[in-house]
Amino acid sequence: MPSENKSYLNCVHCGKCLPVCPSYNIDFNEFLSPRGRVRIVLTDYADSLLLRPGKIMESMSTCLLCGRCEKVCPNDVNITELVANEKIKLEEFGRKRFSSDKLALNILKNKRKVLLKSALKIANIPFFKKLSGRNSPLPEGKSFIGKRDLIFNADTSLEKSQSSPLKHGQVIMQSADEDGKNIFKAGYFSGCVFNGIYSQISIDTVTSLTKNGVEVFVPKMQGCCGLPFISSGDLKSFKELAVNNALAFKGKKLDYIVTSCASCSYSINKLYPKYFNENEENYTEILDFSKKLISIWAFFNELKKHGIEIKKGKLDKETKAVFHIPCHLSNMPDFKPVTAYEKLIGEPGLIADKIAGLKLKPLKYNYCCGNGGMFNVRHYDLSKKITKRKFEEIKEAAPQEILTSCSGCIFSLKDQSGIVKHNEVIPVNHLIGIYARSLRGEK
Amino acid sequence: MDKKLINEFEMMLGKDRVLSETEELLCYSYDATSKDFMPEVVVFPLNGEEISKIVKLCLKYNNTPIVGRGSGSGFSGGSLPLKGGVVVSFTKMNRILELDEENMFVTVEPGIINADLKSYLSEKGYFYPPDPASYEFSTIGGNVAESSGGPSAVKYGVTKDYVAALEVITGEGEIIYTGSKTVKNVSGYNLTQLFTGSEGTLGLFSKITLKILSKPEANSLILVSFNDINDGFNAAISLLKLRNRPSMLEFMDKSSIESVKSIFKSDIIKITGNFLFIIEADGSKEEVDKSIGEYKYILERFSPVFLFASEKSEDKKAIMDARKAISPSLRKYGDLKINNDIAVPINKIPDMLAFLEETSKKYKIPVINFGHFGDGNIHVNIMLDKNNAEMVEKGGKAKYDVLKKTVELDGSLSGEHGIGLEKKEFMKLKYDEYYISLLENIKKVFDPHNIINPGKIF
Repeated sequence: MPSENKSYLNCVHCGKCLPVCPSYNIDFNEFLSPRGRVRIVLTDYADSLLLRPGKIMESMSTCLLCGRCEKVCPNDVNITELVANEKIKLEEFGRKRFSSDKLALNILKNKRKVLLKSALKIANIPFFKKLSGRNSPLPEGKSFIGKRDLIFNADTSLEKSQSSPLKHGQVIMQSADEDGKNIFKAGYFSGCVFNGIYSQISIDTVTSLTKNGVEVFVPKMQGCCGLPFISSGDLKSFKELAVNNALAFKGKKLDYIVTSCASCSYSINKLYPKYFNENEENYTEILDFSKKLISIWAFFNELKKHGIEIKKGKLDKETKAVFHIPCHLSNMPDFKPVTAYEKLIGEPGLIADKIAGLKLKPLKYNYCCGNGGMFNVRHYDLSKKITKRKFEEIKEAAPQEILTSCSGCIFSLKDQSGIVKHNEVIPVNHLIGIYARSLRGEK
Repeated sequence: MDKKLINEFEMMLGKDRVLSETEELLCYSYDATSKDFMPEVVVFPLNGEEISKIVKLCLKYNNTPIVGRGSGSGFSGGSLPLKGGVVVSFTKMNRILELDEENMFVTVEPGIINADLKSYLSEKGYFYPPDPASYEFSTIGGNVAESSGGPSAVKYGVTKDYVAALEVITGEGEIIYTGSKTVKNVSGYNLTQLFTGSEGTLGLFSKITLKILSKPEANSLILVSFNDINDGFNAAISLLKLRNRPSMLEFMDKSSIESVKSIFKSDIIKITGNFLFIIEADGSKEEVDKSIGEYKYILERFSPVFLFASEKSEDKKAIMDARKAISPSLRKYGDLKINNDIAVPINKIPDMLAFLEETSKKYKIPVINFGHFGDGNIHVNIMLDKNNAEMVEKGGKAKYDVLKKTVELDGSLSGEHGIGLEKKEFMKLKYDEYYISLLENIKKVFDPHNIINPGKIF
């Protein structure tokens, strides 16, 4: 069990968390709000009222773990942790029944990653689509990681490097290139979605890195970051995945491990250290992995700090876009925005600045997209209500493209049925995708 | 509660607008005070007609009590269901009904959040000034019920100065309309202002018409501190006498400066001295420049120990961060805070602060003070250790002393939060039996069966 968190005692019920909570804003029902959840957890612990597990779960399961409440909380109540712990507690209490999220989780955990793609393909057959009443993402292209570890040399073309992957266990790390200049080496953590479903984003991430002189190592052993599991109260699977990922990168002498998924960063940076204690096996590896993992944007800012000029790209025609800031995307603590785009969207602004022809427009509120990991699977209808609200501000900005940097957000934002007319669907991409496109000079 | 009443609510509003399970009711049992009471049912009306029907049903079923609730962010217990019964949540009634640009009024439903209204108006070039500290999450309905105010009160007044008309459902379930969209209005008693600040005890609002202003183009801030409290006091009084008085005049006394000092870090701002002010000038660009020049000239005559002025947004943020740092800094003094929002005539502020220092020494408990100088509103925070019974008892005594002194100085028991449950017992310090019986009789006129928020204020 995670260390006991009693921060619910700090809650003074001020209500500051209400307007920022995506689930509260669906219906303005406080049973589905951070303050309500904290009160339920407190009451459950104090045992002062007999609360029913099913009903507690109803409140907890509508939490998207977006963390917006924690950011505004004046009293440091760790609301997402309280919710996650409550789910774990209820799960252990015995709530083992078949449900759509259980099925999805089993597929995600499976080592044979091909299952995920097959499941999504089946879900997209019209018959099943109608049966479930929901839209599932359709896998695009081949998986990024195959049966071998991959290494991509700095400054060489991606295609060439990929054609000669390393054999398992064979990792050669050079500290300098032929001219004696230091080469940055980074690991790449793809996450399950950018590996299996939107693999182009992994290719684009690696391209952006290598074109900036970074050598990239991708171990094949990595898997899902575990966020969907912890958000479903399945601590055991979460920890198994965490250990698997930490060991996959162990001993590779990497300074940084980069991810382009905001939810993976959140899971690995914020949650991994919380659920392992120092007496546990692999504690050091987990902590080491967690410390080295860094978002792609923070990594580019590190390069900049080391005096490396980030390469500029150019789009063949001017593109008006918005950047949806994922709830789980945070800046490095010492990051101070300088340019207009950095002020608008934070660290990713550094890359946005390097893309000639990209015109970013501000989003008024930067609402949540409604994905929230398993929330979208468990409460599809509620999730789409949140997405709909998101599109109110997106439509107002009238972009040609929606950019973001989280796998969950891409899922939710792509699913625009019932929100915009079929012929008005706005394309969704990862900001790194459009950067890679600009570097390649593609049309 | 009669199950039939819940059934009738469900038939009228639909099941999704009625909550009656324990786990759900629990989430409507508290506000920002440390008290809680369980309601028996929560309903979500969408308009005045539905509220009228809700009230009439409550009368039919044994005069069931009804309490209105917005964000439940009050500091006096105004939205707590003291006697159980029905909580009427206004959170689904959050629309802007009309922006009357010619007459400069806006009509809203009570559940809209103050900040949402501000930002809507701001985009159109208008301004709704009342800014309670909770404006980012408290509702206009709650603001009107408590007649909330904030830093801008020094120049712009409080909620009651902006409420022009109301649609209200009385304790008999009748819908009435008070006021009008005119500045001049003397037709009969001023019920609009009677309802404003009535703490939800006279009726339930369903529409609120507010006066709006043109948005000031710019603003600038000054942070200044003095070693001698009299210098600070005289400097502030001089600023208030100006025709272009500040749009904010917040102060921290020695106790809060001490509290913030250790946690506040800034390269440009020093938290120092014994009396510190945050001063804002607003208006057109030229007006702001002129005011800031004038303020600085005046302030410097009173030998400040630190003076910093800026119109840059990052500096302004740093200055406001100093103000915001007070609340978190208090935690080191204790886990239980008795938060009083007394107001005294401005010229009595130094007397009151001296008394607060004495009180803190007398009971050996931290009393941290800051507030809004321009309206004499002092936030007196008595900091206690929750698990120390002796200390908690002393805190209660200190609170009594502070309120008694406030009355002696001809002040108000509450400047912003209202009486509710938190200060009910202190009403007799200020008012005699006859006065209280007048208040009771007024309530009876609007709510003869005593079902609207019973048990509050007196």
